[in-house]
Amino acid sequence: MRGLWATLRNAFAEAAAKPAALATQMFVMAANDFVWVIFWVLFFDRVGDIGGWDRDRILLLQAVLTAAGGVSLGIFANARRIGMMAVGGELDAVLSLPVPPLSHVLVRRIEPINLGDLAFGVVLFAIVGNPTPQRTAIFVLVVLASAVLLTSFLVLTGALAFFLGRSESGELGFHAMLLLGAYPVDVFAGAVKVLLFTVVPAAFVAAVPARLIDDFDLVRAVELLSVAVVFTMAASATFTLGLRRYTSGSVWTRA
Amino acid sequence: MTRRALVEAVRGAAQRVIAEPGGLGVSLAFYLVIVGVLSGLWRVAVENNGGDLAGYSAVALTWYIITSESATVAIHARLIADIGDDIGSGAIAVELLRPASVLGLRVAAEVGRTLPKLAVLWVAGGLLATTVAGAPPRPLALLLAAPSLVLAVIANLIAQHAVAAAAFWLRDAGSAWFLYLKAVFITGGMIIPLELLPNGLQRFSLFLPFRAMAYAPARLAAGYIEPELLLQQVAWIGVLAVLAVAVFGAGERRLQVVGG
Repeated sequence: MRGLWATLRNAFAEAAAKPAALATQMFVMAANDFVWVIFWVLFFDRVGDIGGWDRDRILLLQAVLTAAGGVSLGIFANARRIGMMAVGGELDAVLSLPVPPLSHVLVRRIEPINLGDLAFGVVLFAIVGNPTPQRTAIFVLVVLASAVLLTSFLVLTGALAFFLGRSESGELGFHAMLLLGAYPVDVFAGAVKVLLFTVVPAAFVAAVPARLIDDFDLVRAVELLSVAVVFTMAASATFTLGLRRYTSGSVWTRA
Repeated sequence: MTRRALVEAVRGAAQRVIAEPGGLGVSLAFYLVIVGVLSGLWRVAVENNGGDLAGYSAVALTWYIITSESATVAIHARLIADIGDDIGSGAIAVELLRPASVLGLRVAAEVGRTLPKLAVLWVAGGLLATTVAGAPPRPLALLLAAPSLVLAVIANLIAQHAVAAAAFWLRDAGSAWFLYLKAVFITGGMIIPLELLPNGLQRFSLFLPFRAMAYAPARLAAGYIEPELLLQQVAWIGVLAVLAVAVFGAGERRLQVVGG
């Protein structure tokens, strides 16, 4: 555990080594996220409420999604690169270390631009989320659960590359999750809605957490935690089994 | 630079894309997810508003979205960042040795790379729209939308090269593509028709080139027979081409000075 903590500290130190670049990248991502806020404000101002979703609730969803995305893609940045590392044979260095390989890979690299997502999500919640102490505590907890779920899903879809020999599954999983997670889930019906709660659990990444902040429900909270745990176990098992099929690419990187 | 060189650049790039069906499949899957979700959202919105939003029916908006998204998803998403990397790393210096315009050949190659994808996406999007919403509101308008899509892609690619040329000075265009794409999102009418924007923003978007990159073909595909949109696209392509040539030319001269 101390080794992982030291690795994470080093990764942060690397990202902070160029403070101007860090600030610029965070600003650009925050501006990028702000465009989505503009879209949703325009959309709901024009069309009114849809399926129980209004402007305030969708902005809360955006706050959760960007904050959780910031944790997952910013702090556990390699989650998105597992597939490429597996196919490219770039895991040699980490396999020689006396640490759990998956945990080490996940904390090894910080993506500065996605820290902008995290900052944006927190600021957006502070502005539109009516942040009472109770709501803030729930916000923090659901963002952490959502980040765990998102990271696990990215690792799971990325680790499929060990078996498929191609890394597109990870990228597809990434785009599908963030894209579908950004929309109000109740707009969809039938098979799409089932998909969003199961195979691509985008509903649990943002819509369910946003509802929990507005209207806390213990059963729904347990569901969120359960899905996060199931995907974490599935991701860990898939990565571990996949390592048995790993072939070195003779590329000595720091992973 | 001969016309033949440009044609060969387009043809060569197109053949490479067709020879890699896996990449086309991934783009198609991504596109179908996007248009499935976004058009579904708009259909619900139209139904909630009595079947009409600023003159668009649910069917029209579905055809609008499948067209605006195909015009943008067909283009390599990180093109600006990649051009910036080539400039920042100096790799582009090798291309300067050729007796041909770097900008011309690069744009031609990207057009070739984009057109096969565009065709696949738009046809698939049309099938999806017909299945989930209905046949195109005015099939005749699709005859205008098809060339308009090609013009939209050309305008977008030229503009992306002009923006990426900033890397001649900044050494990096990695962040610019985020902001560029988001400008196309709203003021280009990619995810929301310009008629649904507030008046001020709608008027502002009239003076920007982004409407030529998504709104124009999408509006036509939605059943509005407005041939003047094609003329506007051609005009914007001219303006953007002049700008891109000027910026790239100045950048190339600077690169020669810095690189020695």
